[in-house]
Amino acid sequence: MRKRLPYLLIAPSVVVLLSLVLYPMGFALINSFYFWNLQTSPTPLFFSGWDNYRMVFQTTPFVEALTNTLLLSFVGTFVQFWLGMAIALLLNSHLRGMTVTRAILIMPTTVAPVVVGFLFRYLMEPQGGVLPWLLTGIGLTPPPQGLLGSASTALLSIGIADTWQWTPFFAIVLYAGLIAVPEELKDAARVDGASGLAMFWRITLPLLRPVAAFLVMIRFMQLFNSFDLVFVLTGGGPGTASRTLSFNLYREGLVNYNIGLTAAMTWLVVIIVTIIINLYIFFIFRKREW
Amino acid sequence: MYRRNLLSRRDFLRISGAAGALAVSGLPMFNRIVARSKAQTERTIKVLTVGDPWDLALQNVVDQFTELTGIGVEIESLGYVALQARLINSFLTQTADADVIAVDQMWISQYADNGWIRSLDDYIAADSDSAIDDFLPEVLHSLSTWRGKIWTLPVGAYAQGIMYRTDVFEAAGIDPLPASTAEAGDWTWERYFEILEQVNGMEMDGTTFFATTVIGAQPVPVVHMYTQLAASYGARWFTQFPNAPWDFTPTMNSPENLAALQDWKRLYDWSPPESINYLWFDAGTRFSQGDIAMFYHWTPYFYLVNNEGYLTGTPSPVVDKFRTAVLPTKTAGGDQVVSLGGWALGMPSTSANQDDAWQFLKWATGTEGQKAMGKVNVAGYQFADFSRLSLYQDEELREIYPFLDTQLEMMRLGNGKVVRPPAPIYTSLEGVYGLQLNQAMTGAVTPEVALETTQTLFSNILSGNQMIPYNIDSFDDTLENTQALIASLQA
Repeated sequence: MRKRLPYLLIAPSVVVLLSLVLYPMGFALINSFYFWNLQTSPTPLFFSGWDNYRMVFQTTPFVEALTNTLLLSFVGTFVQFWLGMAIALLLNSHLRGMTVTRAILIMPTTVAPVVVGFLFRYLMEPQGGVLPWLLTGIGLTPPPQGLLGSASTALLSIGIADTWQWTPFFAIVLYAGLIAVPEELKDAARVDGASGLAMFWRITLPLLRPVAAFLVMIRFMQLFNSFDLVFVLTGGGPGTASRTLSFNLYREGLVNYNIGLTAAMTWLVVIIVTIIINLYIFFIFRKREW
Repeated sequence: MYRRNLLSRRDFLRISGAAGALAVSGLPMFNRIVARSKAQTERTIKVLTVGDPWDLALQNVVDQFTELTGIGVEIESLGYVALQARLINSFLTQTADADVIAVDQMWISQYADNGWIRSLDDYIAADSDSAIDDFLPEVLHSLSTWRGKIWTLPVGAYAQGIMYRTDVFEAAGIDPLPASTAEAGDWTWERYFEILEQVNGMEMDGTTFFATTVIGAQPVPVVHMYTQLAASYGARWFTQFPNAPWDFTPTMNSPENLAALQDWKRLYDWSPPESINYLWFDAGTRFSQGDIAMFYHWTPYFYLVNNEGYLTGTPSPVVDKFRTAVLPTKTAGGDQVVSLGGWALGMPSTSANQDDAWQFLKWATGTEGQKAMGKVNVAGYQFADFSRLSLYQDEELREIYPFLDTQLEMMRLGNGKVVRPPAPIYTSLEGVYGLQLNQAMTGAVTPEVALETTQTLFSNILSGNQMIPYNIDSFDDTLENTQALIASLQA
């Protein structure tokens, strides 16, 4: 009985996991091999082999969406992490007003992404928007189609809106990590004559690594699934300039109702994300226990 | 310091007991209230609609229906995508989510073939009040029929037409545009472009005018506007549809479509650059703001542009400064086909109140209901999307909406099954078409490449969805057959 007890105790979690995660994924995997388009039939019509996977590449802008998604995820995570780190260091510098700043900082994170989308739509409006006006003020001419209407700035604009919303999240969590760094270590380094930069690279950053690594992973996955801002700000356009994988999935699943094709696309995305995340875990934690 | 609870255990038990006794003694009374309220709402139907101008008008007059019939109506208005998702979810789960639903013309093949909505033929045939022969056959054909049956009845029908600034035309010395096809003579797209070239960049009263504006957002908005130009040029989507036998081999790279796309790019060159991201109301609002000389759009904008924004009720600067005109043809006196779209009301097969639903459907699409909607004056008059001939002849409505003759002429030339064919999987095709049109507008690809890519994608999608070759029975879906259907149901 004592041997079985641990298994009995974790059994509910396993059942929940199986039913909530594995079942839908298995369902999607099976349907990815069937011709099932709700525009033509309410039920799967026949086994279609790899046709849906082939159709993903032949009938949807999957490669363009993947490229945009990767760009947005990698650059977005990188920029937000370092901006967040800078703000966290400022918060930790015991300057006046930091308590109020900390409270204000969390605000953008609590706003729904759709609302952020509408907010930035107004801010970026070509006729009278604040951002084009500011850009013109510093000598940068925004494209005539508007920041959201130009292929060269549409994805960047989405990234800016996302950065506005999520950088404070990085800042607050990293700040919590900074507080936990023992002062004695810094004092010892100071006694040894270490510069501020050296202390940051050799003491602060290594001690922040577990928090930062987790934070980066979560944010990367969130950015990889970007949908709300894309939907509200650009609708994936112009052309495919800001189309992301999630937006592709939405189009195929909830507009075209091609269940088989959407299931195949979902699995391709799952495989891509799994590879990236596992590579990340491997490199970040290869010398540590996960 | 430890603070005693204010409520002792004994007091708690006393209060709980008293509350329990009260609840038990009050139960019969509660049941009576519930029963009475149930009886009151026994004849209530639920209607799912979409947030369009007709929906606003309908919500304002629905009490008249309840007064007339004693049937309560609960209207829930959703966005386009949300409505479709909600409906499909309820159909798949076989739940009676609503008794009457708004149906886009593009959904009919899917809903009818899957048995999700019921044909209205038997109700129409049995109920002479429906006056089916008063509907414009072109509208019924475009919005409501599929494979020789009527599945819905039109509640808001849209054709396309031109709006232009009379003051700009006067200042430029340009004659007024024809409001009727009888006056159209040499009114061609070539002349349309000549005028745009002439008025582009014109200065008047401190305003620099854009010649026109397009609706460029991908995929649906740009397809709605572009396909009108393409259809006028003679471009068609498939080798043969809706006439039988159906052959869905695409014809997207036809010379007619290429000529249309090249001219569409010219239209964009004369439009505000940001119109590449314009939705329907963005273009309408831009015209109503006063710096657009002329454009074509869905006919609801004939009245919507009187508002400064979308349905704001604030008079726009263009009130009394614009007129409507008929669409030009490719060649003088040549054939015309006008895009005909809009919304119709249908009845889900799962509805448990089908007779009451029919009463509502008949009223909301009937002369009485539609006239009441046309007379709603909340933030201005904003419903003239009639599909019944008698309403176009109604003096009261003609006074409110002076453009009705032009609109009727455009309706009469309309064929929604040609301009945007509601074939199964239309949505997927529209998705890739709109994307390529938008790509061509950005300059990322040439019109030739955009249409070749569309042709390939259409072929892949249609083949992948078992539509090339088409092995299911075709139906000769002509206007003549719709007219014959109307006659047989009326008889």
